[in-house]
Amino acid sequence: MLSKGPAKRVTIFVNEDTRHGTEPLWRAVFDLLMHKRAAGASVTRPWIGFGSHHRIHSPEMEATMEHLPVRIEFVDTPEKVEELLPTLYDLVTDGMIDVQDTTVVKIAQKEKKPEPKAHHIQKTGTARLMRIFLGEADKWHGEPLYEAIVKNLRMEDIAGATVYKAILGYGAKGHTHKGQSLFHLSHDCSIMISVIDSAAKIQRAVEIVDGMLQDGLVVISDVDMIRFAHPSPLMEVTDARSANG
Amino acid sequence: MPEAQTGKILRVHVSEHDHYNGKPLYEAIVEKCREMKIAGATVFKGMEGYGETAEIHRSHLIRHDLPILITIVDSESQMRKLIPVLDEMLDTGLMAMSDVEIMRFQRTSPSRHA
Repeated sequence: MLSKGPAKRVTIFVNEDTRHGTEPLWRAVFDLLMHKRAAGASVTRPWIGFGSHHRIHSPEMEATMEHLPVRIEFVDTPEKVEELLPTLYDLVTDGMIDVQDTTVVKIAQKEKKPEPKAHHIQKTGTARLMRIFLGEADKWHGEPLYEAIVKNLRMEDIAGATVYKAILGYGAKGHTHKGQSLFHLSHDCSIMISVIDSAAKIQRAVEIVDGMLQDGLVVISDVDMIRFAHPSPLMEVTDARSANG
Repeated sequence: MPEAQTGKILRVHVSEHDHYNGKPLYEAIVEKCREMKIAGATVFKGMEGYGETAEIHRSHLIRHDLPILITIVDSESQMRKLIPVLDEMLDTGLMAMSDVEIMRFQRTSPSRHA
């Protein structure tokens, strides 16, 4: 099953009119991918193209309408690609196959939401708690730094992060941050982000924060985690992955 | 990446209406921390809570008495000096200390802004 992380992208270029038995070759390739349960595949038609014969193929002019190019593309796990490649190699008698390393950043499946009434399960274990202290006015490419940090942690599948706004504080920069005064609303309060996850995930989170934090403090401590989670297909995948590695 | 040092995190739980020498206790604590050159202190206001006196602290139209949390991070030796001082200042309240690994980020030097 395809999940976030390293994967392979396979692109196959064939002619629209190349045949495999009675059906078009692109259809045969597509059906094979469907039958072998590849994670997904799409067939697209480039607007114009040329191949090894250096003749232009385009639907624009009648003279060049023959041998229109077709592109079949799919992304799957390295194992799945390895399994499919020999068959594809055999099948594509006229055309080109290329494989590239890629990274799956996000797979979201809207229709597979967890049941809202499912009972939560309690998970306990040791974990790490990271607290990041920074200023509210700190920026990251124009947006508030705390927002950018939370976004990046989320992208890396870190279990959770919470942002707290302080009413008073001082730290790395030496000046006092004070907010919520009756007569002026300060926009440079101290901010604390707390993040809890496994030791390995927190290590990854530290690396992310390291690349983004200019002035600030990161403190990490060991905690006992008691987690209430709803069983969902997505979580099982994550759990299985963390159990494997 | 800055190297991690071991240190302590001290969390002081007080109430918003606690006062010390005529000013809010949390302000007095932060001032004291600065005076003693403690690395940093941050004050958070809770939304609701209860403590020793089992009195619920909740935001009220005219009477504000919300829980206050002061988070202080520094080395163990600095904490050992600070705790007796805070002990003097605190009437009721709670202090909890735990071990932490500290990473300090300080990349903006004054010369870069000059």
